[in-house]
Amino acid sequence: MRRLLVLTLCLFLFASTSWAGGQEIFVKNCGACHKSGGKAPPVNPADKAAVVWEKYFKRHRHPVDLSSISPGDMETIIKYLKDHAADSDQPVAAAIPK
Amino acid sequence: MKKITFIFALLLTLNFLATNSFSKEKMVVIPESAYKAILKRLDTLQQKVDTLEKEKEATKKKQEQFNKSLDDIYDTLDEVETKTIKDKLNWGVELRTRVDNFKVTDEFNPSTGEHDDYSADNRWTTRFRLNMSAELLKNLSFHGRLTVYKNWANIHKAIYYPYADPNSAHVPSDTSLKLDRAYFDWVVPNLPVPVALTIGRQPSSEGPSSEFKENRLRQSTYPVLLFDGEADGVVATVGLERFLKLKNSGLRFAYGKGYQTQDDKTVYMDARYGIDDLNVFGVFFESEIPYLPGSLMVLSYVRGNDFVDNPVDPGKNLGDMDLLGIHLQAPNILDSSFDFFFSWGMNFSHPNGKYVNMPVGAGPDGKPILMPMGLLNDDGKGGHTGWAIYTGFRYTTPFAKLNYPKFGFEYNHGGKYWFSFTQGSTELYNKLATRGDVFDFYYIQPLNKYLFCRLGYTILNYNYTGSGWHIGQPLETDKSLKDFYFLINLYF
Repeated sequence: MRRLLVLTLCLFLFASTSWAGGQEIFVKNCGACHKSGGKAPPVNPADKAAVVWEKYFKRHRHPVDLSSISPGDMETIIKYLKDHAADSDQPVAAAIPK
Repeated sequence: MKKITFIFALLLTLNFLATNSFSKEKMVVIPESAYKAILKRLDTLQQKVDTLEKEKEATKKKQEQFNKSLDDIYDTLDEVETKTIKDKLNWGVELRTRVDNFKVTDEFNPSTGEHDDYSADNRWTTRFRLNMSAELLKNLSFHGRLTVYKNWANIHKAIYYPYADPNSAHVPSDTSLKLDRAYFDWVVPNLPVPVALTIGRQPSSEGPSSEFKENRLRQSTYPVLLFDGEADGVVATVGLERFLKLKNSGLRFAYGKGYQTQDDKTVYMDARYGIDDLNVFGVFFESEIPYLPGSLMVLSYVRGNDFVDNPVDPGKNLGDMDLLGIHLQAPNILDSSFDFFFSWGMNFSHPNGKYVNMPVGAGPDGKPILMPMGLLNDDGKGGHTGWAIYTGFRYTTPFAKLNYPKFGFEYNHGGKYWFSFTQGSTELYNKLATRGDVFDFYYIQPLNKYLFCRLGYTILNYNYTGSGWHIGQPLETDKSLKDFYFLINLYF
């Protein structure tokens, strides 16, 4: 039992190293403009359905040139938006107000 | 001479007139060819002006047509927006069919005094859920779920479950529709601290870490080791993110009832038979673990006052119970495709000295066999401490062509006196209530975005009797349950 607890604690301490996931890359690349009081309004992935996000970027509808974002990051951003789109699985729990 | 003088005078006169009449304009004398070229250019310009005039007319007509189309689009949008607002509810469906192969060994039969084995080759169930949600205002939303969970070709409900209300939608029975969830979240405006109220039949079943095995995102509030059941209640959540700078942090205060008096003569009068309601209070702190995106940490404390012997047909209040819990989970740790969770729980019983004689079967003469049962004891005296751990992982394989299959392992151990509110377990057996060891293996095969199937094998080795019950003295047992199952699940 004690061994298991120590192992668990070690795993969580080890895991506490930062790494960049989809949300971090989205915030890093898009957050500068898309924020309250920013150049563009805040964006929520759930604003559109996944297929709508896909078409949005395929048709180059973003009003500002996005060529400064690397193709890898762009792919991650689009995947993040689609994974959390309006028609994706949504978490359910009693609300936590901000 | 006169003639010359006359001509000279005439010239002077003309010069005078010219000087006075056209004094503000200069006369330009150009060659005829240049004059003609200018005229020609003027013609060309005139033609262009005429063309532009025609184009302008055409553009004007197009603009009028465009404006008309825009008006039509606005009219259509108004209709669509009005219909969307009137629709109010978003609907979702979950449909699951499952087949189980059970084998139970060494179950004590009080009627014969012997230990029996029994099994079921293929036991089929279907579960249908209708999910509802509505965001009425930015700070007000509604969620609901209606469930039919039935045995195939059978309306039988397992009788050994000691509760009815907390698991009515989680134990297979007949085709009737059960109210699984119905609550609203209201973020109270204009308060110095952010507060949300969650009122109604709560999202309190299949909480963390069930989402890993269920191949979903988080679908409930409380860690499943401590509380997994349908519960009516009021929850106040204070948002702490702005104060603690911990993402998604909040402190919840929960109130609900495990039993409410069911007086059938003097409606709604409390304690007619001298039985108090089982009131449940809980305090939960939860937050994302720093540097682990999507992770969750929950610290829990739950107090149950005035437990009754059997909530379906109560005889006495038996005492109080405290529960403590810590839950940690993190998806995709270090980008390794491993999801991990660990949960720990403890319970402390405070009996009030009372006990009841509960029938546990029929003797050879057909008379019921009665056993004395208090709160985790057989004489109503002596508090006990129980504990449990629940841990596991899930791994997402990198095989894109197979839709990234997942496999996982879960283990839980409950001590001799372990008890928590897990009556609404999503499994056919109350696995997390086990006083013993449980090993649970599963493989998830996603078929597409909406459909997945799961193959699983679960072994429950009981060390003590009474798992899932808060009454009676646990006795040693060698009972075990092995379940091999397959399910296919649709949700959208």
